[in-house]
Amino acid sequence: MALRPDEPHDRPVAAQASLAAPSGTVVIPPAQVRRSLRSTDLDQVVMTTSIEKIFKMATANSMWPFGFGLACCAMEMIAMISSARYDVARFGSEVVRATPRQSDLMIVSGRVSHKMAEPIRQLYEQMLEPKYVMAMGACSSTGGMFSNYAVLQGVDKIVPVDVYVPGCPPRPEAVMEGLMVLQERIKSGIPSASQQQETQS
Amino acid sequence: MSDVLQINSPTWGALDTDAADRIQAALGADAIERRVEFRGELTLDLPIDRYIEVCTFLRDEEQYDLLSDVTVVDYLGYTGEVAGYWGGDGRDINRDSHSGKRIIPDPAGPKRFGVSATFAKVMTVTDGNHRRLRVRVWVDEGESVPSLVPVYPSADFHEREGFDMMGIDFAGHPNLRRIIMPEDWGGHPQRKDYPVGGEPVQFSDEV
Amino acid sequence: MAATEKKTVVWPQQDILQPVPSELWPSSDNPDLLEINLGPNHPSTHGVLRVVTTLDGEVVVGVKCEVGYVHTGIEKNIEQKTYWKAIPYVPRMDYLSFFSGETAFCMATEKALELEVPRRAEWIRVIFQELARLHSHLVFLGTGSVDLGGIALLFYCFRARDEVLDLFEMACGARMHPRYCQVGGVAEDLPKGFEKRCREVISFMRDQIDQYYELIGANPIWLARTVGVGVMSPDFAIKMGMTGPNLRASGVPYDLRSANGGYGGYRELGYTPVTKETGDVDARFRVRIDEMSASLDLIEKALDGLPEGPVITDDRKVALPPRHELHTSMESLIHHFKLVTEGFEVPAGEVYAPIESARGEFGFHLISDGSAKPWRVRLHGPAFVLLQSFAKLCEGVYLADLIAILASIDPVLGDVDR
Repeated sequence: MALRPDEPHDRPVAAQASLAAPSGTVVIPPAQVRRSLRSTDLDQVVMTTSIEKIFKMATANSMWPFGFGLACCAMEMIAMISSARYDVARFGSEVVRATPRQSDLMIVSGRVSHKMAEPIRQLYEQMLEPKYVMAMGACSSTGGMFSNYAVLQGVDKIVPVDVYVPGCPPRPEAVMEGLMVLQERIKSGIPSASQQQETQS
Repeated sequence: MSDVLQINSPTWGALDTDAADRIQAALGADAIERRVEFRGELTLDLPIDRYIEVCTFLRDEEQYDLLSDVTVVDYLGYTGEVAGYWGGDGRDINRDSHSGKRIIPDPAGPKRFGVSATFAKVMTVTDGNHRRLRVRVWVDEGESVPSLVPVYPSADFHEREGFDMMGIDFAGHPNLRRIIMPEDWGGHPQRKDYPVGGEPVQFSDEV
Repeated sequence: MAATEKKTVVWPQQDILQPVPSELWPSSDNPDLLEINLGPNHPSTHGVLRVVTTLDGEVVVGVKCEVGYVHTGIEKNIEQKTYWKAIPYVPRMDYLSFFSGETAFCMATEKALELEVPRRAEWIRVIFQELARLHSHLVFLGTGSVDLGGIALLFYCFRARDEVLDLFEMACGARMHPRYCQVGGVAEDLPKGFEKRCREVISFMRDQIDQYYELIGANPIWLARTVGVGVMSPDFAIKMGMTGPNLRASGVPYDLRSANGGYGGYRELGYTPVTKETGDVDARFRVRIDEMSASLDLIEKALDGLPEGPVITDDRKVALPPRHELHTSMESLIHHFKLVTEGFEVPAGEVYAPIESARGEFGFHLISDGSAKPWRVRLHGPAFVLLQSFAKLCEGVYLADLIAILASIDPVLGDVDR
């Protein structure tokens, strides 16, 4: 039976009992392997798409974060990036660049004070399009528990934000969920917040 | 010291009233205006003009080698009736816990700001007998306090913070400028008449 | 306590500390000096620290630290809240050894209240303070080695950090900033299976520490970059107010866990400070790795002898009554109501109760006015103090050494800026 393109190629099919094998292993008879590649049905060997779709897939699956840790949330962000448990490399995002000019995603992790607001804006301006911003944590989303003179009540007052990840600090899995939400947004064609802001103004 | 105090901060050691006596013996009885003992801690209130002299004596004769920190406290409204918050122009976002005081405390000192410095004996101890001592001076708005930096260099950042947050002028500080707030910030945020700030939360005013 | 011989701090040598103790000013008139900005966003700074360096070629001749980029106004916010509601603000200052922050605040409040904490709670606090110290030193080691170029250790340390945070999550519910410490004890008892898991983590960590030493202990590049760099004499350290592992790396055995017998559960457990003699970057790294081993020993000792009993004081004026009592006792209901709405009142006065966090002496000046809200809470943050000494240590070193020195001093900017 033909395998569809989205089914795994090495899905074990029914093993023949006559073949000698150690117990517990599943033997895939060679005749059924790579059936889809031997198929002459064009649908199963060629995927048609548009350039935009490929572009969006490439953008979404290789978001390079800008290493921008401010406070406690930065610890969880580093854990997400460089811990074996919450490996973000499987999303294509393990390339953390120190310079904004080579990164796509600015993860504002931590509380933003008024003194830091200007550097954040400068760094945001230095990023190249398409650029995305994730407000990680309660402090960068809304100011968090610090409703006072010192903390900017949400980083979206100075940069347009695509994804907000709540938590204090959010677990690394929550940040990855935010990353996945961002990836879905990109793949479905929603323009980034910076592009939306440009068209509005 | 009671058991609880010994458990919670043993590094204060026994009350160092001997040091206070020796200060008064060497520099005169008017070098210390008042001694306050609370929870096993000894605080010596000094007149401003004897501040540096007493601290130098503590450093040289009493071997208090570590300046732990220099704290500025604003006592504006301390004896008022509203708990923990003097009022001011800003919005008090915590109206739900805006409570009054049942016991009005005695005034802590004669003036608005108390600048206190805590000293510790670290290297120059015998028998592991670390001690601490606090001295304090009182100033009003606009008055200046002599800087401890020539005597204890580690007062540098602490006094800058005192200037930044409370507006105390430390005379003789080599680098007195804002450390925590932006350079062009106006006002001194931790004063009691400076508003807390922040954004009003929706629906907070409604019952 | 064994008698220590009386040492003296040599004060007249003040010239290196003038004119400004916390800044290094160039002494050469070379017109080709380059003033370059390190930060506030930089992969090598431990938080948002801005270091304005003046370079003569590759050699550092001037250093100025600019802080305040993560100022949060925590102290002002705490003045608006009751003591209980202020506890979540506190671990966010020193966000690496967060449990130490909570403990310090609770201890200061207990000192002002003269409240006795049950023995079991003291020992549990010891376990978690040591776990927080492990967490902080692991992050220090990981990011410190990244600063020096050895990225492998980052992955190892953060992997171990996850194991430690698992323990926090098991007992307290949250990985970081658990708000587990309460005034009067801890919030809840340790769950079943915690001790077993903790011992597994301890044996895992012991292997890991051996691995860290294998990675960096005899590595010639590491040693060339760290031995003899940024030497801090004990006199200089004391004059600049330094405490903690940086001071102990210079040979001064001052640790609040053992000073005058120690505080809290450390009084019964006992602790010997870990010191090194050389005072350079390498010594500061080694002190912290050895402190990790010592923490593991302490946790094991605490688990072995953990006493039974309540985990929070039964003084109903301060701690919430257990839920089942609310169904039967009217007084408990009233206490619960008053505690949650108004809070407990602390007698007027000023206390200062320091503890030993991963960075040094960590203490809260708590000034209360007799009401349910603190009048003024000032954190004596160790990082605030040790950042003062950073500039003078960088005289005449290469720029890469400046990064190494900054990494070894281990500042946390949340502590500095509050």
